Amino acid sequence: MASARPETRAGVATYASPREAFRAAARISLGAPSAVLAAGYIGFAALAKAGDFPLWAALLSTATIWALPGQIVMVEMSHSGAAHLLIVFAVALTATRFLPMTLSLMPLLREPQRRPWQLYLAAHILAMTNWALCVRRVPELPPEQRMAYFVGFALSNWLACLAATAAGYGLAGSFSPLVSRSLALVSPLYFLLIMVGETRTRLGIASLALGAAAGPFLYRYSPEWSVLAAGLLGGTLAYFALRGRA
Amino acid sequence: MLELALLVLACGAATYLWRGLGVVFSGRVRPESALLTWVGCVAYAMIAGLMARIVLIPTGALAETLLAERLLACGVALAAYFGTRNNLFLGIVAGFAVFAALGALRGG
Repeated sequence: MASARPETRAGVATYASPREAFRAAARISLGAPSAVLAAGYIGFAALAKAGDFPLWAALLSTATIWALPGQIVMVEMSHSGAAHLLIVFAVALTATRFLPMTLSLMPLLREPQRRPWQLYLAAHILAMTNWALCVRRVPELPPEQRMAYFVGFALSNWLACLAATAAGYGLAGSFSPLVSRSLALVSPLYFLLIMVGETRTRLGIASLALGAAAGPFLYRYSPEWSVLAAGLLGGTLAYFALRGRA
Repeated sequence: MLELALLVLACGAATYLWRGLGVVFSGRVRPESALLTWVGCVAYAMIAGLMARIVLIPTGALAETLLAERLLACGVALAAYFGTRNNLFLGIVAGFAVFAALGALRGG
């Protein structure tokens, strides 16, 4: 199966067909990218179980929200008794990062014979992890292989994390208190590393620092509003402090 | 149960809103426009605020651990991450292992 192997020419790998691109992307995705995300989802499932959030709802949230920060916000706010409208609003705000991500990736997947509904479906399985890799990798491929590559990569992430949600939830009960406590730290660790490691701009760094300072501070005054308020306060301060200088 | 299902679906729709808008606007809006920059700042600050809150003032299972343990685990995760050329997986595993070990040393 020589065609399964990417042919490297001048550092650029291409595949024999869209089907091969799909398979190769799935293989890459089911390595480290899915393992990291799955670890986060095992932690999320443990958090959900600790917050009396039923398994079916945790699975439904992975399938339909498919964004770890939003899911954590939902479970945490729901556990602390916040109004539902407020929860939906906070989740919507955590997801704003998808707008710039889809804005930058979709033009790469758009080609004349591509139906719009395919782009709308592809946008649903996009996650920060697969976006970071695909936005770099996809432009190197011939146009007809790009969608196959992205879907192979992102769909594998999505399926692996549905399995991880169920596994994490099922295992959470059998874990010792020590392990479940430790797993609850996996999501914060994941975002700590992603944000500290991947944020390059001064504006991004300022937003993170001010948000991190505002979050715990505001939580003392209003647990329900603190997530949203910390974002608006920290982000707006960072934006106006560094506007035009980032 | 129906109420919870509707809440989750509404949160899913709220997330998809941005994905869908991204498809609609792709090719029409400049990714570097002022509004999108501000929106990105708010999103970053919000996630950082929530994660800082979980580490500093945790609820649930994490509330039974010590602040020093959580901070040390974060420090080790960052050190392992940068020490392995930004290997996310090893960074998380290192932080997790140190956090679990500290908890075990304290007596489970």
